[in-house]
Amino acid sequence: MTVKNGSNKSSGALSNISRRKFMGTAASVAAAGTITGFPNIVQAADPIRTIGLGVSIINEIQAKAAKDVGFPIRGQALGYGALFGKTLNQNDQYEVSECYFDMFDVMIPSKVFQPIDTKRIKDWDKVSNLTKTGMLTPGSQVGQGDAPVRQIWVDENGARTKGPSRYISALPGWHNADSLGYNPDDTGRPIESWAELFSSDFKGRVALLNVPQIGAMDAAMGVEALGLIKFGDKGNMTRKEIDFLVDFLTKKKKEGHFRAFWETFGQSVNLMVSGEVALQSMWSPAVTAVNAEGVPCIYASPKEGMRGWHGAISISAKATGKKLDQAYEYLNWWLDGWAGAFVARQGYYMSTPANTKKHLPADEWDFWYEGKPAAKELPDPFGSPLVAKGVVRDGGSYEQRFKKIAVWNSIMSENDYLVKRWTEFLTA
Amino acid sequence: MSKVSELHHTGLIGSQPEPDEAAVQAKIRHTEEGFATVWLITPATIWLVLFLVVPLVSIVIFSFWENTPQGLSPAFSLEFYGEYFYTKGFFDPEADRFLLPSVFIRTLGSTLYFTLVTMLLCLIVGYPIAYFLAMQVQAFKWQLALFLLCMVPFWTSYLIRAVAWLPMLGRRGLINQALLGMGIVDKPVSFLFYSEFGYTMALVQIYVVLSIGPIFFSLAKIDKDIIEAATDMGATPFQIFREIIGPMSLPGVAIGMIFIFVMITGEFATAVVVYGGKTSTAGTVILNYYGIANYPFAAVNALMLMLAMVIGIIVILRIVDIRKEL
Amino acid sequence: MARWTPERWRKLRVKTGFSIYYVIFLLFIYGPMFAMFVLSFQGRRGGTSFPMRGFSLYWWNKLLEPSTVGDMQGAMGRSIILALMVMVITALFSTMLAMAFRKAFLFSNVLFYTILTGLMVPGVLLSLGMAILLRQLGLPPAWYSSGLAVHVIWALPFGYLVMMAVFNRFDARLEEAARDMGADEWTVFKEVTFPLITPGVVAAGLFGFTLSYDEFARTTLLSGAENTLPLDINASMTQRIRPTLFALGTASTIFSLLMISVFLGIYTILFRRSR
Repeated sequence: MTVKNGSNKSSGALSNISRRKFMGTAASVAAAGTITGFPNIVQAADPIRTIGLGVSIINEIQAKAAKDVGFPIRGQALGYGALFGKTLNQNDQYEVSECYFDMFDVMIPSKVFQPIDTKRIKDWDKVSNLTKTGMLTPGSQVGQGDAPVRQIWVDENGARTKGPSRYISALPGWHNADSLGYNPDDTGRPIESWAELFSSDFKGRVALLNVPQIGAMDAAMGVEALGLIKFGDKGNMTRKEIDFLVDFLTKKKKEGHFRAFWETFGQSVNLMVSGEVALQSMWSPAVTAVNAEGVPCIYASPKEGMRGWHGAISISAKATGKKLDQAYEYLNWWLDGWAGAFVARQGYYMSTPANTKKHLPADEWDFWYEGKPAAKELPDPFGSPLVAKGVVRDGGSYEQRFKKIAVWNSIMSENDYLVKRWTEFLTA
Repeated sequence: MSKVSELHHTGLIGSQPEPDEAAVQAKIRHTEEGFATVWLITPATIWLVLFLVVPLVSIVIFSFWENTPQGLSPAFSLEFYGEYFYTKGFFDPEADRFLLPSVFIRTLGSTLYFTLVTMLLCLIVGYPIAYFLAMQVQAFKWQLALFLLCMVPFWTSYLIRAVAWLPMLGRRGLINQALLGMGIVDKPVSFLFYSEFGYTMALVQIYVVLSIGPIFFSLAKIDKDIIEAATDMGATPFQIFREIIGPMSLPGVAIGMIFIFVMITGEFATAVVVYGGKTSTAGTVILNYYGIANYPFAAVNALMLMLAMVIGIIVILRIVDIRKEL
Repeated sequence: MARWTPERWRKLRVKTGFSIYYVIFLLFIYGPMFAMFVLSFQGRRGGTSFPMRGFSLYWWNKLLEPSTVGDMQGAMGRSIILALMVMVITALFSTMLAMAFRKAFLFSNVLFYTILTGLMVPGVLLSLGMAILLRQLGLPPAWYSSGLAVHVIWALPFGYLVMMAVFNRFDARLEEAARDMGADEWTVFKEVTFPLITPGVVAAGLFGFTLSYDEFARTTLLSGAENTLPLDINASMTQRIRPTLFALGTASTIFSLLMISVFLGIYTILFRRSR
C-alpha cells in the first residue's frame, strides 16, 4: 500500500482516483469483515489513543504503526495549548501523549504519566546519549534549562532521581535545535550571532516568537550576545534578569523594532514568505518550508549556539493491562527507524539515529544528518520534491548542531512572573 | 381605525398612553393566557444550571485555590486577587510605579477602550445597512437574502480567514500591489497590517454583522405608513429619525452593542493574527496563564473580565431597558 | 403608469445611495476573502502568500484526499452535525424563553442574567471547568455531548436576545383575537404567533449554527477523542499551512452562496403557491 501511495503522489489526478477507489474497496472489505463477524479479531484489534502536535500525529505515521503492530492507533492532532491542557487534565482520554520534555516540570509532579520501564523498550540501548547523559558526543555542551537529561530519569513511582535509573519519565522522540531564520536578500549580510536580532539595521523587519517562556529565551540569547548581561541560567532566569530583559525589549518595541510576534509554525513561514520580516526567531523545518515556496531563507547557526527542544512520548498513568502493553508496543515502534526516517524528511532528528539510518537512502541520510549537499532532488515525507539538488542544510551536521546547545526549551520557576512581565512588554 | 389613534395605542411616538380600564383588564387576561411559563423555561433552565452555573461555580472556587507543583490544591487564598490588583510601589511616591495600576488592570482598560471605539465604528457602519435592509428593501425574502450575504464571511472558519489577512494587507498583499500598480505609493506601505489601524479595521470587519441583525429586526417592525403619515404632515427626515426611527431601533441597537461588546472584550485571535501579537488583551492574558497551567490566576482574570462585562451590559441596559420595552 | 414626481425622484436617489453603500460594505467585509479565493488556485509549489507560483487545481483536489494531519473531512462532518444540533436547540430554547419573558414571573431577573452569563464566561475556562467536573463524575467528554452542552450555552444568549428584539412591542392583539374566536393555545401559536416570529426563529437558529461551527476555545477540552473542524485546523497550523485551507474556505463560501440561492428559489416557489 505504501508503494501504491508513493507512486500516486508523483503522478497526477488519474491515479488519485484509483487510489480513492482502492481505499473505498479497502473500506468495504473491512465493513464486510464486520458484518460476517469475527468477534475475536475485532476484540484483538482494540485501539489505543494517542495525542500530540501536527509534528508527530500525522496520518501516515499512525497508519503505518497500526499496520506494523497489528492494532488500530487513533491519533488526535492538537495545537500546543490544547495538547498541554489535555495532557495535564484528561489523562483518561489518551493512552499515549506525544508531548515535550519542557512540559515535564508540570507533568512529573502532577503524576499524569506512569514511569516507563526501560527493560520493556527493545531498542533502549540504541537511544543516543543526548537524553541519557546530555551529551550526544563526548565533550558536547549539555545546555542550560530543561535539558532532557534533567527531566528523564525517575524512579518506579515517577519521582525524579539524581542519576540514571531503570525508569524514565518519557521515551525520547524527535528533536531539533532552533535559531534564527533570515532572508539574505533583505539582511544583506550573513547572520552569525543572536545579537543581530536587535540590530537597528533591521528595525521594523524583525519578528519574535510569542510563547513567553520560549520567546524570552530567544531574546535572552540576543541580549547576552550583545554583551549587556550575563545570565546565570537562561532556562531559569531570576526576577532581576527577567526585569532587565523585559525593560530592554520594551525599549526596543517602543522604537518600532518588531514587526510582529508569531505563535505557530505556519505563521512564521508566512511572515518570511510574504516578505514582512527580514529576520526572526525560527524553527529549522519552517526555514525549509520557506525555501520550498521559492523564497530565499537561511537558517542561521549563531556562534552562541542554538536553542534545543525534545519530543517526549509518554504513557498515561491510567493505561493498564492490555492497553499498557499496546502503548509499549507503539513506543517501541517509534524507535524502530521507519518513523525516524519519516520525521527526518521534515527536518527533525530521532533519538535512535542508527535505526533511522537503516530506513533512509544514503543520499537522504547524508543531507539530513551529515550536513552534506543533496546529491539529487530530495522529497518530503509525502513524496513531493522539497530540497533541490546541491543544497546544503544550514546548521551543519546533526553532531555539530547538538554539540553546542546553548539552552533547552524550559518552563522557569519564575514562569508566572515572566508571563506577567511579558504581558507588560506587549501592552507597552 | 384611524392612523392617529393607532399611533397612540401602540405608543410609537412619545409617552405611552394612559392605562385605561380596558387595557388593565387585557393585561390581566394576557398574563393568564399563553403557554405556562414553567414549561417554557424549564428545559433551558436545567441546561443552564448543569452546563453553565455549575462549571462557573467551580471556576469561582478555583480562583481561591493554590497552584502547587502537584497541581491545584484546595485552599482559600486571596493571593491571586492580590496579584491581580496590586503592584509593588503603588503607594510609594518614590517608586516609578507610584499610583500605576497593575498590568492586568491596564490591559483590561485598554481592551475596553478598543472595544468602545470598535462598537462605535460598528454602529456607524452597520446601522445604515440595517436601515437599508429594513426600510429600502421591500420583500422579506430579499431582506433575508441580503442579510445572509453579510453573514457568509462568518461561515468560513475564523482560523482560515485569519491566515488570509496577510496576503491581503501585507507588504506584498493585494492592497499594496494595487497601490503600487496605480502609482499611489512607490514602496509598500506597512501601516495596513500589524498595526492599530489594521487591528481596528479587522475587528469592525469581523463583528459589524452582529449589530446589523438586531437593529434590522427593530427597524423592520416600524409601520411604514407612520413614516409616510409623518412625512405628509411635513416632518423632515431628521425629525422622523429623531422621533420615530431612532427610538424604535434603540432596543436593537442595545442588543447589537451587547453582542459586539462581549465578543471584542473577550477577543484574542485577531490581536494575535492581525496585530501581530503586539498588544495584550484581557483574552490573551487568560490564555497565557491557562497555557502555563496557572488555572487559579487564569480564573481570577476571567472573573474580572466577566465583572467588566457585567458592568458594561448593565450600563447598556440602563440606557435602554430591552425588557421594559417588551 | 406612475408619474415621476420630485418625491419619487428623491426616494429613488435615497434608495440608490443606500444600495451603493451596501455594495461598498460587501466589498469591505468580503475583502480578506479575495486573497483567499485567488490563492486557493495557487500552483503546486506555492504557499498561502503571494506571489502566485502558477495556477492549478492541485489544492482543490487535496480537499477530497485524506489530509496529512488530522481528518479534515471527518472533522467537517462532525462540525456540521454539531452546528445543526446547536441550531435547532438554540432556536427552540430562545423562542420558548422569549415567549416566557412576555409575562412577568418569579426570578425572571435571575434567569435573564444567567442566560447572558453564557456570553461572558471566557471559553477556555468554561471548557476547563466542565472538563474537571466530567472527570470527577467519570463521564467521558465528546463533541456531541459535552461539546454540544457548552456550544448551546454560548449560542443561546444570542438567539434569546434576537427573539427578545422580535417580541419587542409584539402586537398581542392578533393572538387575543384568535383566542376570542375560541382557538386553543397551540392553534394560536401555530396559526398566529409563529408565522409572525418566523424570521426571528430563523435568525436565532442561524446564530446558533454560525457560532457553533466556528467555536474553538470552548471545544478544546470537551470534544473527546475526535476533533471538530476548528480544532483540526488549529492542529494543522503546527505544520506548514497549505493552500488547501484556502480551498476549503473558498468552497464553504461558494457553498453558502449556493445555499442562499437555493433558499431564495424555494422561498419564491412556496410563496407563489401559498398565494
